[in-house]
Amino acid sequence: MSDKHDHHDHDAHEPSSPEAQDAGSQALSEALRSSFAIVKIVMGLMVLAFFSSGFFTVGPQEKAVILRFGKPVGEGQKALLNAGLHWSFPYPIDEVVKIPITEQQIVSSTVGWYFTTPEQELSGEEIPAGTTLNPAVDGYVLTADHNIIHARATLRYHIDDPIRYVFGFASASNTVQNALNNALLFTAASFNVDDILFNRVDEFREAVQQRVTDLAEQEQLGIVIEQCDVESRPPRQLQSVFDQVTDARVNRDKALIDAHSYENQVTNGASATAVSIIDRAEADRTNYVASITAEARRFSDLLPQYESNPALFAQVTFVKAMGEALTNVQDKIYLSQRADGQPRQLRLLLNREPPAPKQETSPETPED
Amino acid sequence: MKRNLLTLVIGAMLVVIFALLLFVFQVRQSEVAIVTTFGKPTANPITEPGAYFKWPWPIQNVYKFDKRVQNFEDKFNETPTADSVMIIVTIYTGWEISDAREFYPKFLGSVPAAQRTLESIMRNAKNAVVASHNLSDFVNSDPQQLKFDQIQDEIKSHVQAELSTNDYGIKLDFLGFKKIELPESVSATVFTRMTAERQQIINSLQYDGERQASEIKSAADRQAVGVINNATADAIRIKGEGEAASISALKIYEQNPELAIYLQSLDTLQKSLNQKTTLIFDERTPPFNLFSHLPTNSPSSNP
Repeated sequence: MSDKHDHHDHDAHEPSSPEAQDAGSQALSEALRSSFAIVKIVMGLMVLAFFSSGFFTVGPQEKAVILRFGKPVGEGQKALLNAGLHWSFPYPIDEVVKIPITEQQIVSSTVGWYFTTPEQELSGEEIPAGTTLNPAVDGYVLTADHNIIHARATLRYHIDDPIRYVFGFASASNTVQNALNNALLFTAASFNVDDILFNRVDEFREAVQQRVTDLAEQEQLGIVIEQCDVESRPPRQLQSVFDQVTDARVNRDKALIDAHSYENQVTNGASATAVSIIDRAEADRTNYVASITAEARRFSDLLPQYESNPALFAQVTFVKAMGEALTNVQDKIYLSQRADGQPRQLRLLLNREPPAPKQETSPETPED
Repeated sequence: MKRNLLTLVIGAMLVVIFALLLFVFQVRQSEVAIVTTFGKPTANPITEPGAYFKWPWPIQNVYKFDKRVQNFEDKFNETPTADSVMIIVTIYTGWEISDAREFYPKFLGSVPAAQRTLESIMRNAKNAVVASHNLSDFVNSDPQQLKFDQIQDEIKSHVQAELSTNDYGIKLDFLGFKKIELPESVSATVFTRMTAERQQIINSLQYDGERQASEIKSAADRQAVGVINNATADAIRIKGEGEAASISALKIYEQNPELAIYLQSLDTLQKSLNQKTTLIFDERTPPFNLFSHLPTNSPSSNP
């Protein structure tokens, strides 16, 4: 630019050789002008390139944070840039930090689990266990009653304070994992083996989750615990004896169920019998009262007749009753009066039942 | 003159940019920086992120450190507890640089170097604290007696005290157990004991089941007998009520007891004379007295 300026001055000072000078200087100025235009374009392009270098993309499995002079732009969740195209000032003003985090983070704790590979996990096959557990290879936890069991946990969480989570920890997910390890260890140390495995499984899981939530808060991890799954099992070495306990428990329950059904049967039967006893008593009472009432009524009906002539009444009713009775009676024996008027003697052999054998037919022999 | 001005502005901008590169440095969110003037650290480490001024080299130098919380776990080793049980304990910590001016000369800013020192301090603290506790302090179903957290805190304060007295410029944020296990040979003993415990549970389950079942059954039997007894008692009472009600009939009979007794006797006689009865009469019994004498209209002289 200054060149051109000089040339202009020069032009003004020497007007004497106009033609040659003019042509030469014109060509020069022409050349300079065009080269200057090129420089301008290049500079413009460079400025454009400088600013467009600020474009960057964020992938679907990651987030990004812009650091302006080293300081994150935005607070908390707002500092996170989601997947897509973004722009920032180029370095050294802004710096883009990409973070491989998704909506939900998962960590697992396997310090309490025996040695196994992902392939074995998938196929479900188990390598036969030795008689002992090698602390270098096989993990386990100690329970409150000094027993050994295996336990592992999976924790799902999301990041509440990304600035703290990303810039506060060299490896935040490892820290979360250690908190989970510690929670599992601590909770197992305060539960008895049967509670962890059978009686208080849910309580155990909740206690682990509570502990890991507390630790995350204490250590200011900037995360929110969503879910914690815990799996525990007896050592493989003792699987069969643990199974026997389960069987024994099942048998015990079955015996109790049987006993209860017996109980129902017996008490229901007794209730039914009781009801029928009472019903019968009620019926008896009703019948008894009814028959008494009927007799009383008959008495009242007969009383006037009796009172009018008691002897006749007695005679008539007695004979009538005898007549009815005699129609029913099988054996009727009539003894006539002896000629001398003395009473007859009568001997009875009372052995009527059973009547079948013929020898015994020594009937009542009326004797003189 | 317009062009002159533009030239000046651009030139000045270039100078400013150049000067900025020389005189300004950035501290990132995760960093802490110390500035040395002719090799000597100046006042305070810079912990807030942002852009800061410095004199260009060789007057001032800037050293930056990672101030994030670092994870560190020690290697497991066997340690006896106070009641002489060997246990294998692994602990993890989260530590950070608390004072970069102390940290820098001790470890030359190297995190692995710092962790080597940390490991030996941790091991000593761990062994000392574990040896002062019984195994039942580590595992216990009684929350009052479980000293899990207390032991962790003791180890942490031991380590922190050691770090502070040596001015390592390191601060422990947290410390906890990662693993508590038993030596391999002991695990077999534990298995034997566990098997015995299981066997005992199996026996007690069997015994318990039988006992409860028979208790339930005998209670049911007792209850059934009771129910039937009550019902029988009720039945007797009900019948008694009926008999009590029948007493009112006696009042009616009182009008003529002879007739009442006569009617009852008649009934009884009728009922007792069923088919299997054998009756023996003489001529005095009505109606068989007809055999001996027929009634005449005249008053009879014969008996």
